[in-house]
Amino acid sequence: MTSQQLVQSVDPAVSLAKFAREIADFRSLAMDYGRRGWFLAEADYPRAFVVLAAPQLSPPPLVTGVLFDYTDYDLRPPSVRLVNAFTREPWAGAELPTTLRRRVEGPPLVIQGFQLPPGAAAPRILQEQPLIQAYPDGLPFLCIAGVREYHDHPAHSGDAWELHRPAGAGRLVRILEVIDTYGLRPLTGYNVSLTPQIVGYIQGDPPT
Amino acid sequence: MPDNKIQIAVIVNGQATVVEANLNAPLGTIIPRALEQTGNTGQPPDNWELRDAQGTLLDTSKIIASFQFPPDVRLFLNLKAGVGG
Repeated sequence: MTSQQLVQSVDPAVSLAKFAREIADFRSLAMDYGRRGWFLAEADYPRAFVVLAAPQLSPPPLVTGVLFDYTDYDLRPPSVRLVNAFTREPWAGAELPTTLRRRVEGPPLVIQGFQLPPGAAAPRILQEQPLIQAYPDGLPFLCIAGVREYHDHPAHSGDAWELHRPAGAGRLVRILEVIDTYGLRPLTGYNVSLTPQIVGYIQGDPPT
Repeated sequence: MPDNKIQIAVIVNGQATVVEANLNAPLGTIIPRALEQTGNTGQPPDNWELRDAQGTLLDTSKIIASFQFPPDVRLFLNLKAGVGG
């Protein structure tokens, strides 16, 4: 799925003022965010580009970039894309460094022929749910309320942006917090693949 | 300020506010106040999560005094991810 065309229908001065507030709020705490690996690389209305590192790893990598587009904010939520931190190209599905997995409870487990004691709750299996979703022919998008791509999705037509706007669901720091929580903080090390190759024999000292 | 009071800087979705809190109260008591002071409405306090400057999720049921916050502490209050996917 691709996001609908971004059209500015609000007075641009309003969107610009709200965008400027997002950027000013971030910059006022840039040291705190920097320690967590969040760096605002560019802010030029309507776009903000943030790169996210994983300082808990050694060496610390730049894991991903996040491209925000605050066109028509906050009549509409911002567009949010995970992009390559160096090229700013959106990640294709297979290239994504993280899909922001989180654990959610699945439906109640029903075992045929097994009766639960009265009042007992059916057990549930924990499942993993990626917060990054994509159609095979589309770019991955962050699928949470407060993000334009989520609210544009036909499956979420019953969860209007207006329900989430008063709580600041589209604010820059809030969205970064979600990406950090599910995408960056769970990284505990590098997944390394080594391919052994036989290049000869190990020989002892040659006999006299 | 009384001995059992503390002022805590809370960053709500990126916006700073200072909340006065009782050291003997659960940490979660600062959430409704911080939301009210920053005009964040529409989502109940349970839909928010509180972290320290390192991004560690804090247990809001614990008493504030037990955290032994320094005077310049900053806590970060953000809306949870909610239902996604």
